[in-house]
Amino acid sequence: MKQNPKMKLIQENMQPGAYTAHGFLGDDTRSLKDILRTDDQAVTSMGITHKDIAARMMYFTEFGKEAPDSVVILDGVYEVLVDDHRGFIPCPFADNAKEFKSNTKLYNRDQDREIYWSDLNIHMISEHGFYEGQGSFFRTDPVDLAKILGLIE
Amino acid sequence: MEILKTILSVTGISTVLTVLIIIAERFLNNYGECKIDINDSEKELTVDGGSSLLSSLASNKIFIPSACGGKATCGLCKIKVLSDVGPVLPTEEPFLTPEEIKDGIRLSCQVKIKKDIKVSIPEELFNIKEYHATVSRISDMTHDIKEYRLEFDAGEEIKFKAGQYMQIESKPYGKIKEKAVRAYSISSVPSDTKAVELIIRRVPGGLCTTYMHDHIKEGDRVRITGPYGDFYRRDDSDQYVFMAGGSGMAPIKSIAMDIIEKGIDKEMFFFFGAVGKKDLYHTEFFRNLEKEYPKFKYIPALSNAAPEDNWEGETGLVTDVMKNYIDTGSGKHAYLCGSPGMINACIKVLVSMDFKEESIYYDKF
Repeated sequence: MKQNPKMKLIQENMQPGAYTAHGFLGDDTRSLKDILRTDDQAVTSMGITHKDIAARMMYFTEFGKEAPDSVVILDGVYEVLVDDHRGFIPCPFADNAKEFKSNTKLYNRDQDREIYWSDLNIHMISEHGFYEGQGSFFRTDPVDLAKILGLIE
Repeated sequence: MEILKTILSVTGISTVLTVLIIIAERFLNNYGECKIDINDSEKELTVDGGSSLLSSLASNKIFIPSACGGKATCGLCKIKVLSDVGPVLPTEEPFLTPEEIKDGIRLSCQVKIKKDIKVSIPEELFNIKEYHATVSRISDMTHDIKEYRLEFDAGEEIKFKAGQYMQIESKPYGKIKEKAVRAYSISSVPSDTKAVELIIRRVPGGLCTTYMHDHIKEGDRVRITGPYGDFYRRDDSDQYVFMAGGSGMAPIKSIAMDIIEKGIDKEMFFFFGAVGKKDLYHTEFFRNLEKEYPKFKYIPALSNAAPEDNWEGETGLVTDVMKNYIDTGSGKHAYLCGSPGMINACIKVLVSMDFKEESIYYDKF
C-alpha cells in the first residue's frame, strides 16, 4: 500500500538507530499503514478499542509506580514490576510527545504468561493504535495483550 | 509510445524540480559565518551558520550538558540566549518553565545559528573538557549492570567532585549509523585523576547502553567529556544518609570513598534498594569498607527476595528500611540516586522525618 510523506518520515523514525537500538518494526516487512490496519482490525473484532487496552496497561503501570523497584501483587493474579531509566524517549509518530524511559513487567499467574511494555507503548497504542512490528522487542500481539490484561477471555 | 512520452516528461519535470530545490536550499540555508558572543565578549567564536548552538559550542570545546545528544529529550542543555533567535519551539516547551522562557533560557540543541548571537554561559561549564581514553577494564556487576574503567591518554588528568557525571559517545554499530551521547555517573574517587570508572545499567533497546554492553571491548578507544552536574558532596553535614538503587550506586560509592579518603569523621549510612539478590553488587567492597571504617554502614534491602536467595538481611522498600535506622533528619544531609520513582518516594519519606528540603540532594536518572 502507498504511504504519504508523513508516514514515510514516521517509518524512518522507527528504524534501528533513530530513537532506539532495535527500532519499532522488528523484522516486519509490511508498510506501517498495513501494520496499523491489521492490528486495528484485530482490536475491533474483539469489541474493544485501543484506548481500552492502553487504559488497562496504564492501570497496572501506575500501580507498579507506587512501589518503585518492587514487585507488587494486584487482585491476587497480577505481579507488576516497574523499572525506570534515565531520560525520555520521543514518540516516533512525530507528535511532540515524549515519555519516561519506564518499563512495566506484568506476570499473569493464572495464565502463567508475562508481558513487558514501555510508557511509550501505552502512548502509541492509545494515540496511534500502534503495537510495534512483528519481531520487535516490545511487540505484543493485541489479542494476546488483551487476554493477558484480562480484557477478554 | 504516448505512455512512454508522458513518463519521460514527468520524470524530466521531477528531475528539474529536484535540482531547483537543492540549489534553492543551498542558498536559503547558507547562513555564512556567524559569531557567538559569550558572556559579554569574554569569548567570541566564529562558526558556520546552520548548525545547532549546542554542536557549534561543542566543536569549539565548550561542552554544555546534554544526555540525549541533541534530540531534545533530556532538557539538560539549557543556556541563556540574549539575542532574538525566534520563538521557543514545541520541542523545548516541556522542559522550560514560564520564568525560564521569560529569562531567555533555551535548549541549546534546538537553537539553530542563523546570525550573530549573544549567550551567557556559567563559568563552571568552561571547566568541562574532552578526554580520550582506553577501556582498560569491563566488569560484570549484575545481569544488567557493568562497570567500566576508562584510562585517559598520557598527560590527560581530570579534576571532578565526587558525585558528578561524564558523557560518553558511542560509535556506529550494527544497523546504527549515528553516534549517540549519554550521561553516566562516575563511581571512582576524585583522587584517581588518570581514569574514571562508570557504572552502566542496560536500558532495553537503549542506543548507548546497547553499545556499552554488547559492543565495546577492553582496549577500545572512547571519547568522553566532563565532569558535569551539581550532584556532589556538600561539607556541612553531621551525618550522611545515602540512598540508591541500580546504577545509582555509582555517585554514592564515589562520595563515600571521597569522605573516607579525606578523613572526614562523620557517620554514613548507605541504603541500597534492590528487587532480589541478583541485583546486588559490590557487596564485598562495602562490607570491607564497614570493617575498615566503623562509621560507615552499608544496608542493602531486598524488596522481593526469592526463597533461593536465602537472604537474611533487610527486606522491604528501602524507604521503610531506612526509617528503622534513622530517627530524625535534623542536621543530616541525604544524597539520593536512582529511578525517578525511587527518588520521589525517598523525598516524601525524608521530608516527613524532618530532613530539610535543601539538605536533600538527588540525581534522578
